[in-house]
Amino acid sequence: MGNKQTIFTQEQLDAYQDCTFFTRKEILRLFHRYRDLAPQLVPLDYSDKPAVTLPYELIGSMPELKDNPFRQQIAEVFSEHGDGNMTLDDFLDMFSVLSEMAPRDLKAYYAFKIYDFNNDDYICKSDLEKTVNKLTRNELTPEEVSLVCEKVIYEADVDNDGKLSLADFQHMIVRAPDFL
Amino acid sequence: FLLGFDAEEDLVGSLASMSTNERIKAIQKMPETMRKKREIRNKVLREITKKSRHRGAQCTQGTQGVSFRRFGNTLSEYFHQLQPWHKTLKIIGAEFGTSVLSYFVFLKWLLNLNIFSFLMNFGFITVPQFLAAEPNNLSFTGLELLTGAGYFQQTVLYYGFYTNATISKVENGPSYNMQPAYIFTVGIYFVICFLILLFSVARFFSRNFKLTKAVSVNANKLLCTWDFNITNEKAVKLQQKNLLTQIKEDLAEVNKEVLNFSVKERVGRIATHLLAWVVSLATAVAACAGVYFLSINNLKLFMKGYSNDLQRQTAMLVLPVIVSLLNTLIPFFFSWLGHLEKFQTPGQHIYVTIIRNIILKISIVGILCYYWLNIVATSESQCWETLVGQDIYRLVLVDFIFCLLGSFFGEFLRRIIGTTVCMNLGLPEFDIGRNVLDLIYAQTLTWIGILFSPLLPGIQMIAFLIVLFVKKVSLMRNCQPPRKVWRTAQMTTSFVFLLFCPSFLGVLSVIGVTVWRLKPSEECGPFRGLPSMYAAVDEWIQILESYTVSKWVVWIYHNLISSELFFFIISAVVLIVTYLYWQIIQARKTMTKLLHNQITN
Repeated sequence: MGNKQTIFTQEQLDAYQDCTFFTRKEILRLFHRYRDLAPQLVPLDYSDKPAVTLPYELIGSMPELKDNPFRQQIAEVFSEHGDGNMTLDDFLDMFSVLSEMAPRDLKAYYAFKIYDFNNDDYICKSDLEKTVNKLTRNELTPEEVSLVCEKVIYEADVDNDGKLSLADFQHMIVRAPDFL
Repeated sequence: FLLGFDAEEDLVGSLASMSTNERIKAIQKMPETMRKKREIRNKVLREITKKSRHRGAQCTQGTQGVSFRRFGNTLSEYFHQLQPWHKTLKIIGAEFGTSVLSYFVFLKWLLNLNIFSFLMNFGFITVPQFLAAEPNNLSFTGLELLTGAGYFQQTVLYYGFYTNATISKVENGPSYNMQPAYIFTVGIYFVICFLILLFSVARFFSRNFKLTKAVSVNANKLLCTWDFNITNEKAVKLQQKNLLTQIKEDLAEVNKEVLNFSVKERVGRIATHLLAWVVSLATAVAACAGVYFLSINNLKLFMKGYSNDLQRQTAMLVLPVIVSLLNTLIPFFFSWLGHLEKFQTPGQHIYVTIIRNIILKISIVGILCYYWLNIVATSESQCWETLVGQDIYRLVLVDFIFCLLGSFFGEFLRRIIGTTVCMNLGLPEFDIGRNVLDLIYAQTLTWIGILFSPLLPGIQMIAFLIVLFVKKVSLMRNCQPPRKVWRTAQMTTSFVFLLFCPSFLGVLSVIGVTVWRLKPSEECGPFRGLPSMYAAVDEWIQILESYTVSKWVVWIYHNLISSELFFFIISAVVLIVTYLYWQIIQARKTMTKLLHNQITN
């Protein structure tokens, strides 16, 4: 049905379509984007599931991520071993969550992991400080950064433990219509 | 987030018992890696084939389901291809952010509404009219495209050309009664539009206005408003600078004490604001008076007749040009006025200027409607509906031309001035508020004109397409990403609400007055000779009474639609239901507060 392609088996494509929000054509297009980053590393035939990983430097140089202040965190969250190097599966996963078809709860869950720099399942004050610095290009003084972080925790912390858990974060996202 | 073994078994079991669509959605939404999701999916599929084998169902059912899904997927891919603006919108979102993108999404939505209206009118009214068309004896000169009069007067463009007869091509064959067709097509289109707008407004409100506890301003600003769509380096830097400025301002307010104005200063500020409001309202009233007297003058000249054709054509264009000039220049005056009164925040400045522009536009449209319905309809012209249709056609066309000119002067020339002559002005920004109000104004005119000129949505459709293209090109070449903060979700909701509340409801009242109160002209149009346009429905119901098959339609009409008791009962029921829902919301709010206290303690 449609164009013949030899990169994936039909079952692999079905599995990808069921697990991501993409259509067949979009998955193939994403595969070609992945391959264009390093044509010599990525084979054209994925039917035997080769174990190919692209290093973070190549992923971070994509035009969609190049100027994003959080690109390192994003790559680390979606990569298999948390080091920023991504297989094709991780690549598709990342774009699936960041696409416009993903529901907000899913995005909120991953946004939480992106803002959680020290990976302790809580957004503590040091995580927030790093976020503020990334968002304002280090142009605030340390006292100002500290003040902002305290205010954020004061406002968003529902269970009063001094840091934001996933539930606090999701509670805030629900009431923020501008979250993308 | 690793699932224990038991939890996984439960998950697989629950997924296997869902329908295919639900299952796929549930798997897509799972916050797991792709590998885990694939494993779970394969387990679920094995479970399903096991179950169906138990029940003795055929194995082919499974493969049939899969191939059906594949077919559905290819269909949706082709459907996606039919939306040609998808790529353009994505590029705009990436370069300029979601605030500018919201304007283009709104424009696309209005374009779809117009396409729908044009197809309905063309299919149900114009095509049958073509079959019964009278020959057109007037000559065609190029100027008609601008004025809409002359040759076009005897074409399907205007109400006056449509016949009031029953059209039938074949003797004793199926006949098409133009009178009820005209009124029902327009009526059903407005009902559908009303429902679409109502549901859109409700959906936007429920998503974007959480009226619960006070907003957590800082956390919101830090963690939720970063626009991840943007991929342009300059735009990213601008956003960062924006956030920096906002945070600095917030901190400055916290550190300093709240500015206590002395009593004299406060009185001075209130006086300035009042004065500015009085001046803007006076300007709006003056503009309306000018438009009113100009149009009355126009009508008098028209009735008297002109010396030559050229004079008549130019006289017809004076009114639309003046109206468009007022609509273009007065907003600049309001914006300058807003700079004079020093507002406390720039957000207030934007809101107040937008409200003043809305008041101006509503008053101009209002005075024009008053002129059309009270003066033109009762004048002694031969075919007043066609006159009104021509007026609206000219207004729409001149407004479109001014929109293009505005883009040319406002963005293109401004960029040239900003980069060569006056270097510190810089590139212009895309003024979202003004452009959206222009769109709403154009759509209001189109809606008013549907009754008098059925093909007007088609013309507006072409105009919107050209505007979309021109704005996009101008945006990419001339503008820079917006520097001010623009709360997209709130503003989009406000725009759709503005489209619904003053604009659409106003149009409904104008159309209502036209259909129920005004007398159609004697010599032209599908309702000639009737006491009002609504009388056509009465006549049609009388025809239906003679057929036994449609007695129930007649019963519904007499007892439900034209009886006041029915509407009274429905209004009472709606009010009671609203009151009950409101009480439920209050109860839930108290519950939330109690639970919140429980968590914090």
